[in-house]
Amino acid sequence: MTGAGSAAVRRARAGKPRPPAIPPDTAVALLRTIWRIRCFEERIAQLHKSLQIQGLVHLSIGGEGVAATVCGQLRDDDAVYSGHRAHGHALAKGAPMAQTLAELMGRSGGLCRGLGGSMHLVDATRGLMGATGVVGGNLPLAAGDALAKRLAGSDAVTVVFFGDGAVQAGHFHETVNLAALWELPLIFVCENNGMAEFTSRAEHTTVASVADVVSPYGFARATVDGSDVAAVHDKFAAYLEQARMGEGPFLLECLTHRRRGHYEGDQQQYRDEQAEAQWSAKDPLARWQERGRAEGWLSAAQAQQLERDATAEVEQALAYARQSPPPTAAQAAALVYAAAPDGAPPR
Amino acid sequence: MDNDRLIWMYTQMVRIREFEERVKRTFDEHPGVIRGHTHLADGAEASIVGSLATMQPGDQLMATYRCHGYPITLGTDTKAIMAEIYGRTDGLCGGYGGSMHLADPGRGFLGTSGIVGQGIPQATGVGYAAQIRNRTQPPTVVLCFFGDGASKQGAFHESLNLASLWKLPVVYIMENNNYNVATRSEQEDANAAAGEPLSVKAKAHSMPGVTVDGGDPLAVHATVSEAADRARRGDGPTLVESKVYRLSAHGNLIAPPGVPLHYEEHEAIRVFGNRDEYEAALRGDPVPRFRMQLIEQGVLDVARADEIAQAAREEMDAAVQFALDSPFPAPEAATNFVYA
Amino acid sequence: MAREIPYIVAVNEALQFEMERDETVVFYGQDVAPSDEDPLVKAFGRDRVRVSPISETAEIGMATGLALAGFRPVVELLMAEFMLVAMNQVVNEAPRLRYMSGGQVKVPVVFKAGYGFTAGWAGQHTGSIYNMFCGIPGLKVALPSTPADAKGLLATAIRDDNPVCYFIHYLLVLEHGDVPEGEYLVPFGEASVRRTGSDVTIVATGWTVGKALQAAELLAQEGIEAEVIDPRTLQPLDLPAILSSVEKTGHLVLADQATRHASAASFIAAEVAEHGFGYLKAPVKLVTALDATIPYSQPMEAYVLPDEHKIADAARQVVGAAPVAA
Repeated sequence: MTGAGSAAVRRARAGKPRPPAIPPDTAVALLRTIWRIRCFEERIAQLHKSLQIQGLVHLSIGGEGVAATVCGQLRDDDAVYSGHRAHGHALAKGAPMAQTLAELMGRSGGLCRGLGGSMHLVDATRGLMGATGVVGGNLPLAAGDALAKRLAGSDAVTVVFFGDGAVQAGHFHETVNLAALWELPLIFVCENNGMAEFTSRAEHTTVASVADVVSPYGFARATVDGSDVAAVHDKFAAYLEQARMGEGPFLLECLTHRRRGHYEGDQQQYRDEQAEAQWSAKDPLARWQERGRAEGWLSAAQAQQLERDATAEVEQALAYARQSPPPTAAQAAALVYAAAPDGAPPR
Repeated sequence: MDNDRLIWMYTQMVRIREFEERVKRTFDEHPGVIRGHTHLADGAEASIVGSLATMQPGDQLMATYRCHGYPITLGTDTKAIMAEIYGRTDGLCGGYGGSMHLADPGRGFLGTSGIVGQGIPQATGVGYAAQIRNRTQPPTVVLCFFGDGASKQGAFHESLNLASLWKLPVVYIMENNNYNVATRSEQEDANAAAGEPLSVKAKAHSMPGVTVDGGDPLAVHATVSEAADRARRGDGPTLVESKVYRLSAHGNLIAPPGVPLHYEEHEAIRVFGNRDEYEAALRGDPVPRFRMQLIEQGVLDVARADEIAQAAREEMDAAVQFALDSPFPAPEAATNFVYA
Repeated sequence: MAREIPYIVAVNEALQFEMERDETVVFYGQDVAPSDEDPLVKAFGRDRVRVSPISETAEIGMATGLALAGFRPVVELLMAEFMLVAMNQVVNEAPRLRYMSGGQVKVPVVFKAGYGFTAGWAGQHTGSIYNMFCGIPGLKVALPSTPADAKGLLATAIRDDNPVCYFIHYLLVLEHGDVPEGEYLVPFGEASVRRTGSDVTIVATGWTVGKALQAAELLAQEGIEAEVIDPRTLQPLDLPAILSSVEKTGHLVLADQATRHASAASFIAAEVAEHGFGYLKAPVKLVTALDATIPYSQPMEAYVLPDEHKIADAARQVVGAAPVAA
């Protein structure tokens, strides 16, 4: 973590009014989602190590709070565009865990019939519209989706998740200009873990916080502690309400932590051990549970039950995935082009 | 600035104007001689000359397809520039590049890109090279010219971020003429739509951004000098927004072979029917404006100013004649220079 | 009812017709209708006709997002080269999203651009780069050579549920031809036989179709009857039409404005070599641009490009006739 990031955390905390209390049911639901993501991803790490899941896998352990709070407030007709670190967003947006895991294992019963894998999760019926593997490649897609919502006259909104590394890519700026110019109902959610792949933010830019990068455009933006579930929840809720009324765009920068390497198998020779220790204390799961007990909406028994439920769900999902066969070559070939609609000539 | 320098600046502005008028007139006087697309710098002379007057030995620049004015100011032979625009073998680039792709590396003009914004990362790389050289040599800077439209290109932002991060000795000079071909800035730029100067984009990259009247060569010179000094000191890049008004249309008519090419009216009139805007710009024409200023200040008298104009006219007449007389390259030469 | 109109008018007619027919068709791009007086703006309003900044990556990526969310955008990219600025969106996003989602989403987008403007536009605005998109599974590539095809292929491109690169040829924009009024669709993957002949097959694309027809006239004076085939779309490619012609003539010349190894001619030749080798009585000949960036100066520009004489010479060679001095 860079000094700049820590300063941004302090700024975000300073003078922050006490957020309105999250209703207990919602608080527990958020915790349930966080547990589901945590247990899912820990299992993924094991499955990857034992070669039952192949290819490039990026985990969000330590950052589940953002996925749970943002996606947890969205409807199925709201669109989410994610990136290569998408498992949490998918589960929180409602993608069934069994099909998500089957997708990671390359099975025909996966969300995308095994053709996409970890970096390309899509569940169109639940508004998880796409996860793209190229840094920031999803940004203009999301702006187009937001324009579509505007043109359709809907109050649905579009959310795009990206990391701080994407902000240095030109298409971030192209998209921000257009979203601001056309006042799109788009919420940019930056999960700033202070690391762009293997190098820290300070090696990529002189601009301290991602929110500052959009400062020339004058739309609402905020930086919050991404490990503070309530802080993310409240700020996002405020932006969401305004976006539904036709305002936009917004940028919410969540300072998070990546507990694991950039990808599974990453040797992480670039890690700062001291920062690691500091951030472990900021685990959003531990903090949210602690807060639940302090505020009285969570008992120890309930907390254990949530963990047991999540673990059991992961094992059921794994059983489903294991019995699902891989896709056939014919299935793969058939999906290269969309078929011609009835009566139309394309072929 | 001493009087000789002021007169030099005025002379270069007049030379650019006379050159560009010759290019424009070629479409009428010698139809078919210029092919493809040309883009004129009339209206931007003060900005170009004010910027280039800051250059010191070893400084370099890159520009866009609207590129005739830079080599003229740097001292490139106008005969060679015109011959290039006419596609002749004596052209500055042997007839390979044409109007959009002038280069004179010996004078520090490393070239242009015909694609909006794509020269910016290249100039940034030139700045990186300069930074390395500057550690052992008298410090040099790189001037990077582009238009307002390019600031909506990702390449612009990627370059500014890196230049700021690495403190590269680059001055980014945005010649803002308020039009992307026929599209007005406020139709395509969130800052322009909000009534803000485009120099605010520098904020996104933690670098200074300043806006200057590009019709005033001395103001441009002062602003670019300060930015160049900062770059030379190793303190990093600056974004300079130089507000100009292009007095001709974006470029000549775009048409397939066989259709006579010419310059149509400026887009303010042709597309938006706004003759008042264009006429106001003509009243503010930087070339007569600077002439008047120098005469009022006693730097120039009318006779000397007329002499300068007459010399420029004669020079450009000779450039046109030279270019017309220059032979075409041998067709087989087309496959030269594909690889080093 | 057909009537004679220029190629560029036919293009606009298809766009207008499809926008009237389907209100999910959206059209935007650089310098598209900056004036509110533009007829498209008046007809369809500013929501559906927009002028956009010079931000190709955002423009193309947004089109993909619009498509994912149920619209059918047509992005005006003016010059095919401008797509190179946004290669990730063109190659790595739009055509792959449907596949990687296991067929859940579709991306009905048209990337509309001009190409091949070899009229003194020098090195960066004259390329014939369509072939680099033909090898991208998920992308379709249409190259109309006549006004009627310009209309029919654009209409089909807009209705197609896949991303389509629709490339108009800038040297053809003022060419006139018969174009049907009203709704008109040209199916993808269906080649057009522009001229029938029994001695040699000439496969030509875009602007070289006209050059091939001129070459065929020259050859006819010498008693050589050329069959000229225009694939019209390169992806999908109507290989059966090409093979059946080669089966008839036994000789094949491929004309293409692109440079040799980046040409459609080269991959079509490979397909014929694999699937029609037995029909060939002589090696095939490719007539392409020479391997050089297009130079500005006219004599050099003409030198690097294919023309009717080079095509005719190639045809004479493959049929074993004596070459004719130019």
